[in-house]
Amino acid sequence: MIKPKENRSLLNREPRFEDSFMSVQAMPKLPRIQLKETKDLISHTRRFNEEVVRPLALKTDRGSFEDPEYLPWELVKKANEWGFYTLFIPKLFGGQGYSLPSHGYVIEELSSACVGIANVAFVHYLGFMTVLASWNMPLINKICREVVEGERSGNPCIISLAITEPGAGTDVEECALVDRARVSCYAEKVKGGYVVNGSKIFISMGHVSTWHALVAYSDLKKPSENTVVLAVKTGTKGFSFGKHEDKMGQRACPASELIFEDCFIPDECVLADSRSMPRSRKRTTSELVNQIIHYVVEVTRNSVGAFGTGVARGAYEHALKFAGETMVDGKLLINHEWAQVMLAEMYKNVITGRLAYTEGQYANSLHGGIYNFLQFKPLYYYLKYAPQAMIDTFVVPLYETKLFGWLIRQIYIEGQSMEDQHRCSGWASLAKFVGSDMGVKNCQLALEMMGQTGLRHERGAEKFLRDSKLLQIYEGTNQLNRLNLFDCLIGRSVPQARVFEE
Amino acid sequence: MLATIKCELKSFEDLAHSFAAKELSANRDANDRYPFGPFFDAVVAKAYEVGLLGATLPEECGGIGQGMSALCVILEHISAVDASLGGIIFTNALAQEIILAGGGKDLLSGVMGKASDAKSALIACPSCVNPSETQTMLEAVKIKDTYILNGAIEYVVLAGLSGHALVPAKIKGQEGYSFFLINLTDKGLTKGAPIFSLGLHACPAVDLTLVGIQGTLVGQEGQGGTYFDQADARMHSAVAAMQCGIMKGSFQEALAYSQERFQGGWEIINWSSLRMLLGDMAVQVKVAEMVVSEAALAVEQQGQGWELYSRAASIHLSELATKLTTDGIQVLGGNGYMKDYGQEKRFRDAKHVQAFLGLAPMRKLALVSAIVKDV
Repeated sequence: MIKPKENRSLLNREPRFEDSFMSVQAMPKLPRIQLKETKDLISHTRRFNEEVVRPLALKTDRGSFEDPEYLPWELVKKANEWGFYTLFIPKLFGGQGYSLPSHGYVIEELSSACVGIANVAFVHYLGFMTVLASWNMPLINKICREVVEGERSGNPCIISLAITEPGAGTDVEECALVDRARVSCYAEKVKGGYVVNGSKIFISMGHVSTWHALVAYSDLKKPSENTVVLAVKTGTKGFSFGKHEDKMGQRACPASELIFEDCFIPDECVLADSRSMPRSRKRTTSELVNQIIHYVVEVTRNSVGAFGTGVARGAYEHALKFAGETMVDGKLLINHEWAQVMLAEMYKNVITGRLAYTEGQYANSLHGGIYNFLQFKPLYYYLKYAPQAMIDTFVVPLYETKLFGWLIRQIYIEGQSMEDQHRCSGWASLAKFVGSDMGVKNCQLALEMMGQTGLRHERGAEKFLRDSKLLQIYEGTNQLNRLNLFDCLIGRSVPQARVFEE
Repeated sequence: MLATIKCELKSFEDLAHSFAAKELSANRDANDRYPFGPFFDAVVAKAYEVGLLGATLPEECGGIGQGMSALCVILEHISAVDASLGGIIFTNALAQEIILAGGGKDLLSGVMGKASDAKSALIACPSCVNPSETQTMLEAVKIKDTYILNGAIEYVVLAGLSGHALVPAKIKGQEGYSFFLINLTDKGLTKGAPIFSLGLHACPAVDLTLVGIQGTLVGQEGQGGTYFDQADARMHSAVAAMQCGIMKGSFQEALAYSQERFQGGWEIINWSSLRMLLGDMAVQVKVAEMVVSEAALAVEQQGQGWELYSRAASIHLSELATKLTTDGIQVLGGNGYMKDYGQEKRFRDAKHVQAFLGLAPMRKLALVSAIVKDV
């Protein structure tokens, strides 16, 4: 047989085994109970789709054209009642603590009914992941407990991420680009906190969120090394909402403008500050900032892949139903061979999208991935079965201690190698553009198959197309994600390769 | 491009271009809000006044008697700015072409002669369907010399605003179908609310229910399919022209934006992957211009297999326009998705225009049938 040393060497050749086969590496380590949890979550979501999403999807979309000022308060309330905002918050912070990787399947289910409403439920986790990736345990705990309390009281408390600016979009998601970007959201250090001036645009769910993870810069000339992530609460003096955008689709989910005018944020609401980050053995300051951003997108780009897969599925399901009940040229459309081939192609697109985001999720479950620690079996079962009061009594007080902060730092910051980061980030980018491309493609195919019937709003297919297009744009355009994939997993095999240096 | 090949088309190009710039450009977004905003009556009235609604209609019927290339030039320039008016011109022209194929010049002269304004001159028709492919059909009964129509018909484009509609119906006991011209003000006719659709919001359709409506037969009984095929073969070029216009509009907006928008330290046109996207779009636009030009000329010259060029042009450009307008949004990123820019409308309109004249895959199959027949 092959000796261990040779084995390692062979497996380390491109394509490297550990970067290529995610599920087979991750599955043996996963807690068995996750299978049951996943099934329960899918059933829960299917019921939510039946009772809430499908009856409201087209009504909400049409209503938003009739009333351009529409905001989805009713939908947020429903998602809150059904527990969506705490489902995936770990019990460490008072949430329901379902395994984070399962959220992709839930997103796909929701999006197969309405990706706009899926965003109403899940943009919150983009905000949550940003809060989490700061590893500022006391503040994470404070914000999450408010989300949990919001669910209990029936007054929803959800989180948004504010990063895109009027003059900078794609480039704020990459530290390699941000120093050349036209950023303008300035956070000036003052005694006891920061004073923020500037604005953010296209902030999904901004108007209806309570907390906003705001990315601002304490030096606009060198933002990569002067990034601050601030937790800003709606109602804070100097913070207001501007317009919300008139979008082509996903109209259930507003894209808001956030305006900051001499807005004071106290030190205790600073999630992360690149100027005061402890030095790292593995990363420079700007790489530490990049790590935070990538921890977020390593999860959320997979989520967009799942949104896209859900859209692809919804479009396919509409086309299938239409083909089964419509006569074309004297026989049912479904009995035309070309239509069968087209439906098979659409089915394949769904599966392709799902495989990509699933592998991306498994990458995050491997060593150095954000899910890895929480999926460590003893910890997982402890958190699952220990009463919340026990966690609150014995674990939560440790968040304030230096030792706990050091431990978390060792696990998440020092514990993630650049190779780990590249694996997770590369797969997330791939899942994002595969899923969103499949989503748009299937919507186009469905409309070709449905002809004039597909054009009608009340049939739902045209809404899927309008909704789908945004998936190729947000969370980094699909072009940026292709470049990130190149940067993470392709360029390394050619030492002279340079990315973003054109 | 057509206007450089045929100099006499220059005046139509100038007319359509200046009309689009003056009448359509400024209110594109507002006009697209229909049915949740007002309909652009004044624009349609002006289009009628300057002759945009009768380009291929013979002069003796009240039109300006031009060939397909003039219609294509008009549709291309109008659709580059707002394809909704393009859809109105197209649907009206399709109805006229079907009636002409059935030898109904007198019928058209009658409609146009009595028309007091744009709306009463327009003829609605279900322009997003090939009637022989679908099962739903009105039923006509012949009573002495008149035909009485009953039943429901979906998605009759322009029927919410026009004076007349051309509808397919089956005459009881006969194979095939026939076309009938009906008066949309007749009692017994019920119009649904304007259908809120993917694109072409200002070229609306409605569902119609007919109870005992008198219809005027176009041509001969049972020959609807023949007339439709004749008109359809010609009008595919017009679909291609609309798509070409939409593509041009999308490319121009993307090109302009890419020279103004900064990302990563310079104008985005300087990033080579984005420039490649623009390169693809530029190629597609130039190909589209050539395709429209050849297809329109083939229709006019009626050479061997002329209709194949026309059909192939619409199928190909609909696919290209779908792709190009998707990229057209992508170049603008988040802004492309917002109604402040024209790209999202073009994305919807291109997909909508692809649905004209029936199911896109069926049109491809029909092309092969036409080739086999031709051989």
